[in-house]
Amino acid sequence: MTSLAWERRRGSATRFWKAYRSHRAGLYGLAGLALIALLALTAPWTVGADVQSVTNAPGTALESPSAEFPLGTDQFGRSLLGLLIWGSRISLLVGLLAAVLSVAIGTLVGVLAGHYGGWLSTVVMRITDWFLVMPALVLAIVLATVMSRSVWTVVLAIGITCWPTTARLVRAQTIAVESRPYIERATALGGGHGHVMARHVLPNVMPLVLAQTTLGISAAILTEATLAFLGLGDPTVTSWGGMLQDAREAGAVSSGHWWYLAPPGIAIALVALAFTLCGRAVESVLNPRLGVGR
Amino acid sequence: MTTASTPAGVARAEEARATDGAPRTGVASGYLRHAAGKLGGALVSLFAVLVTSFFLFRIIPGDPVKAMTHGAPTSAEQLATLRRQFGLDLPLWQQFTDYCAKALTGDLGTSFQFRAPVGDLIAAKLPATLLLTGVAVVLYSALGLWLGTRSAWRHGGLGDRVNTGLALTLWSVPSFWLGLLLIIVFSVGMGPVPGLFPTGGMESGTGETGFAYVLDVAHHLVLPVVTLVAVGYAQTLLVMRSSLLDEMGGDYLTTARAKGLKDDDVRRRHAVPNALLPTVTMVFINLGHVAAGSILVETVFSWPGLGGLFYQALSVPDLPLVQGLFVVFAGAMILANLLADLLYPLLDPRVGR
Amino acid sequence: MVMVTKVPSRPLPRRPRRAARLLLAAGLTTASLATLPATTAAAEDDKSGGTTLTVAVSQSIDSLSPFLAQKLTSTSIHRLAYEYLTNYDAKDARTVPAFATEWSASADKLTWTYKIREDSTWSDGKPATAEDAAWTFNKMMTDPNAATANGSFTANFAQVTAPDPRTLVIRLKKPQATMTALDVPIVPKHVWEKVGDFSKFNNDQQFPIVGNGPFVITDFKVDQYIKLKPNKSFWRGAPKFDELVFKYYKDGDAAVAALQKGEVSFVPNLTPAQAAALKTQKDIKVNDAPGRRFYALATNPGARAQNGRTFGNGHPALLDPAVRKALFLSVDRATLVDKVFQGHAVEGEGYIPPRFGSYFWKPEDAQRRGYDPAAAAKALDDAGYRKNGEGKRLGKDGRPLAFRILCHATDPNDKAVGKYLQEWWGGLGIGLTVECLDSVSDPWVKGDYDLAFDGWSVNPDPDYVLSIHTCGTLPATPKDTGATDNFICDKEFDTLYAQQAVEYDTAKRADLVKRMQSRLYDTGYMNVMAYPNALEAYRTDQIASITTMPEAAGNLWGQDGYWSWWSAVPAASASGSEEGSGSSSTGILIGVGAAVVVVAGGLVLLRTRRRATADDRE
Repeated sequence: MTSLAWERRRGSATRFWKAYRSHRAGLYGLAGLALIALLALTAPWTVGADVQSVTNAPGTALESPSAEFPLGTDQFGRSLLGLLIWGSRISLLVGLLAAVLSVAIGTLVGVLAGHYGGWLSTVVMRITDWFLVMPALVLAIVLATVMSRSVWTVVLAIGITCWPTTARLVRAQTIAVESRPYIERATALGGGHGHVMARHVLPNVMPLVLAQTTLGISAAILTEATLAFLGLGDPTVTSWGGMLQDAREAGAVSSGHWWYLAPPGIAIALVALAFTLCGRAVESVLNPRLGVGR
Repeated sequence: MTTASTPAGVARAEEARATDGAPRTGVASGYLRHAAGKLGGALVSLFAVLVTSFFLFRIIPGDPVKAMTHGAPTSAEQLATLRRQFGLDLPLWQQFTDYCAKALTGDLGTSFQFRAPVGDLIAAKLPATLLLTGVAVVLYSALGLWLGTRSAWRHGGLGDRVNTGLALTLWSVPSFWLGLLLIIVFSVGMGPVPGLFPTGGMESGTGETGFAYVLDVAHHLVLPVVTLVAVGYAQTLLVMRSSLLDEMGGDYLTTARAKGLKDDDVRRRHAVPNALLPTVTMVFINLGHVAAGSILVETVFSWPGLGGLFYQALSVPDLPLVQGLFVVFAGAMILANLLADLLYPLLDPRVGR
Repeated sequence: MVMVTKVPSRPLPRRPRRAARLLLAAGLTTASLATLPATTAAAEDDKSGGTTLTVAVSQSIDSLSPFLAQKLTSTSIHRLAYEYLTNYDAKDARTVPAFATEWSASADKLTWTYKIREDSTWSDGKPATAEDAAWTFNKMMTDPNAATANGSFTANFAQVTAPDPRTLVIRLKKPQATMTALDVPIVPKHVWEKVGDFSKFNNDQQFPIVGNGPFVITDFKVDQYIKLKPNKSFWRGAPKFDELVFKYYKDGDAAVAALQKGEVSFVPNLTPAQAAALKTQKDIKVNDAPGRRFYALATNPGARAQNGRTFGNGHPALLDPAVRKALFLSVDRATLVDKVFQGHAVEGEGYIPPRFGSYFWKPEDAQRRGYDPAAAAKALDDAGYRKNGEGKRLGKDGRPLAFRILCHATDPNDKAVGKYLQEWWGGLGIGLTVECLDSVSDPWVKGDYDLAFDGWSVNPDPDYVLSIHTCGTLPATPKDTGATDNFICDKEFDTLYAQQAVEYDTAKRADLVKRMQSRLYDTGYMNVMAYPNALEAYRTDQIASITTMPEAAGNLWGQDGYWSWWSAVPAASASGSEEGSGSSSTGILIGVGAAVVVVAGGLVLLRTRRRATADDRE
């Protein structure tokens, strides 16, 4: 039985990959992500944590791009290229964690509400609706202001504000899945709530969750940059949004140091784009009716 | 923020389409009941927002009195006077009941740092935000609709790929960053490009009147609007494109074409009007987002609107002002959602009638 | 110009698509908008023919009522609109006559008599008299709402009277050395006695606002601008510019860009990078002047209230002088000045910045704490704080020493210095968490911090910045808020403070103030790292000359007097400059050209793409 299920899942994964491969934009996105992930993961060996040190900074303040510093230096004389590579770690980490957190909350709420229905569903969906009408950025700003400045604060602020969308989608999907006849059979055969949710509903909403996560990371990375830019990030860690904030505080915009400002923004845009492309490809594989991608 | 708002907006539109198979009863009375239900829900939400905004902002760390007086010679007596003037010496429950009683009469309290009624401050800044976001929403909706239609009609072609690709790329760009770049290039001037546009603000303040003033404001409006449009239009484009693709699969289009109608006519008369529905819904839902979404652009371009005011109020923290703005932002979302909910069944013959 | 010749006379598509027309319209609008600045500027010149001095500001006005305003922008503007009893000389900040022409104290030091100037009139034509001054002070003494902003000045007043229109008499409860430094705007009685609730009146409804300073406030739009016109009948002589505008730029970069374009004449608070970039530009002068602020590290000396209760969660190890000394010894102030301030600061030592020459104090060699990491490590070793195997310094409780430092999230210098401190103290084996907050006041007031970045602007009279380290300013109970800066309470310092507060002899008082600073230094609770310079820039093609304070090398923004804006002389080219309009008309042409090219490009793109997509389909 289990091996059969395993076979079936592997089969569907293969089918999924085959369909995904036909989405060129999705492949570009995947390739971009692989490259960026590689850069981020190898950063300890390529640039090292030392790149963040201010007391051992190799250059002088705000140097223009040169052979030694391909992207110039920041106001402390640190290599901007090094910081950009090092900063990818925090930006990606925050984006990933925040998206996972928000999707996890959303999935939990959505499945519970969809499965149990009744007053629980009503109450939970009221709360979800209420969160949905909250201006997400405003709420995230408030949360980031309330809590101490740290990476975890940003993760929490994004995660807590972005889950309602997922919750609604997952709930709709849960209801659709549970209306299928085999669920009724499973219940009739003595499957409890936990069994139905874990064995039948969850695997069926997983693809949707995957697509949501991928799209969510893109939004989370942008929100992280936004919060850092508004001065709500942790100033002691290097992230892309933080670099933009540093550039702005150093007056790089008006003093013409565009090479300080441009790369982090481009990096954010590229990563967000890559995740969006992947997410859309996944989405359209799962739900060709949406007609996106291609 | 447009970026954060996107999934939500799309999701609502998608979900509305996904659940349109649900059984509906009655005709006109059904709609009225639907409307009444939505209205009631909106009122409950609004009340919930009022209550939460009070408690949400009381947990903000920071002593407003101390923060406001920092740097100025202040004695303990003065601090006490300020505290009394602001009502901060009262117990929390009393502050809360005062706040509720006042809020019910439309009084949002008095700002700590400007010492003016919050309602007046918001009313003073609201037109600037409405102008900026209104122009931006109209433009990016129009642009998105137009490009989305083109893309869908020739989907898979080069034009579609360029179009969608560009829109997605711009969508992935942080709006504040784009704004800063636009300032560097088009305000400060860079290389051969002269500084064409003002660096910030809404007017030159040199005493223009009449048409000259309108032009002056329009001149200041260009860069912030370009920023918002560039970052925002992808959303409309994508929804329009996908719903038009949906429609194009419909049998009636094939029939229309078989009857010998030209492509352009088929598109204009049949497919586009039907595909507009989800898009219009989404535009409405987004209307609510943009007020809060302009925080970044207003900060970057020194636009004298609500977004900038909010950020400034938060750092004191100017509690009554922050609360009031939060209520306004959330209220805008509630209103926009309500409008979308009320309009959708009217626009779509298949839903709710 | 090349672009302009490219204007396409190409016919539009026969049946222009709606969209194409839309794009075209958008392009034309853009082009016409780009031409705007020149036309509006010209119109303005025609209309007034006057000279305008525009100052970029970022801080919002909290209130235009002198009884409520506390922010620097507001008080600076009140300096321009109202006379104070005394002013500070632009040269050396000594007290000079303003609304009062002379003053004297009685033998018992408790009665001060001021002679009020005869040639000062309110801008509505009524004479300004001692009666107005007496009314202002009495209002502040009797109505707590009117004492909101400046109540600290009148707290010690027993009685204020105006026996005749030219004489003001103030009786004190106890002697007060700041009687020639009463920074209180005197308001016209005949206008203000009609005001009901002083806590609600913002003085921003009726313009022009009646005052007797060098300028008159004529218009105000929240966060957009404040406009002032010269007071032609000002007794010292009317200002030279025809208009003074404070214009809002919430973003520092936008302000600098506006300066480069000539939209504003003056920008304060530059970053080092901005200053460096502006230095090389034509018609812009960067003013790099000694500042009036000190920038310091403050340790939590164990927060306590006047009732003896201690509170807060300051790290106990910081109560040990050896630990504080070691921390301060490993702060390389020269590097901070060099790297963080890019040289635009003076290395800190004593409490009061060197620009206030008469009160400036430097530590003796014997007491000085220089940069010496080796000595710092030794001091810790000697005091029993040893490193463990991982190089972490252990506290008396056997746990690794790790401190928190409160930083202002809005101050880039705090964040930058925090990075250096982390690395320097990391070298000692001591951990440091930089806690940046928008508003640090909450943990600060509660004593929930170990170290904090601290800084104050010092007035010509140092009384206030000294008072905040006396025991008397501690909160009454842990629940209250005191005026204290960081809970320092030292008997010896308090004795000296009490002595200087009643010392009317300037030289003797200065000596006492120096002894106070020496004592403060020795307590080792604070480490003044730097005196940041005032970095500001102005356009020399708009401002021909302007007085700094101090005159030799001083700042322009946030002066203690009104000297800078009062003295500013417009440059010959400031009004309707030919050169300026010439260059901007070139700008228009380029703008129009660019827009036309964009539109043409768009059209071409549209057509080719339509063709391409059509091809795709077939």
